[in-house]
Amino acid sequence: MSSPEAPPAKRALSAGFGRLIVLLYVVFAVSAGVRAGYQLSTKFDQAPVSYGLSAIAALIYLVAAVAIVRGAAGVALAAVSVELVGVVGVGALSFAVPEWFPEASVWSHFGSGYGFVPLVLPAAGLVYLLRRR
Amino acid sequence: MPRSLAAEADPGWASVWGVIEWLYLTVQAAALALAAWFFVDTARSKEVGPANVVGVGVLEVLLLAQLVTSIVLVPGASGSGKALFFSYLVTTLLVPVAALFWGSIDRSRWGIGTVAASGLIVAALMLRIHQIWEFQIDVVA
Repeated sequence: MSSPEAPPAKRALSAGFGRLIVLLYVVFAVSAGVRAGYQLSTKFDQAPVSYGLSAIAALIYLVAAVAIVRGAAGVALAAVSVELVGVVGVGALSFAVPEWFPEASVWSHFGSGYGFVPLVLPAAGLVYLLRRR
Repeated sequence: MPRSLAAEADPGWASVWGVIEWLYLTVQAAALALAAWFFVDTARSKEVGPANVVGVGVLEVLLLAQLVTSIVLVPGASGSGKALFFSYLVTTLLVPVAALFWGSIDRSRWGIGTVAASGLIVAALMLRIHQIWEFQIDVVA
């Protein structure tokens, strides 16, 4: 009789710690996405770059979460990597050229407006995905 | 602070503010306590059990009290953040329930670990909701 649990070698990408990662990504995608949508619809003119970047960041989190649930490790790795490059790149730019970002985006100042969660999440996701390979 | 001035001007509002602040701090305490308790379960590799479901239920009752209070007080107030306020509050209500379902189908320690993280998410979202309440909704006026 076989065990009801999957063999350890082929555990689903969304099992174990992956479950926590998916919850965090979905919550972040929803809260950042809804806020960006609200800002884009009410005050797009004030800071189109910042709000647009927030929307893109939210979308990429959603892609990463769906990819992990569906077991698409390659897509998940790509999405999480883009997210890390985004938060580090935009974070550095927002300090170097603050006039480009009149309003904060999810990524500016390395995500300080969101408790640095935007910096921690892709790092945690990257470590999880790379350790499974 | 405009809030305390208004509270002094109308004693009736002072008690309402007291309730709101008290309710907010209770939700925060419950969410953080739940997270701490569930992370201990995570460290002990426990699966999601009936006690965890009751714990999430208590948090949900507190959040529902927050929602009902807000439905009574917020729509009549002035301020621009009302849609944002309620979308955050409804999201906050859904997160622990979603985490409970999503976590309880996992056999590893991260099943309950996921529900534990939802307590921290509730605390963070409530922080944001409280900011919107304080700065973007003018309940007193």
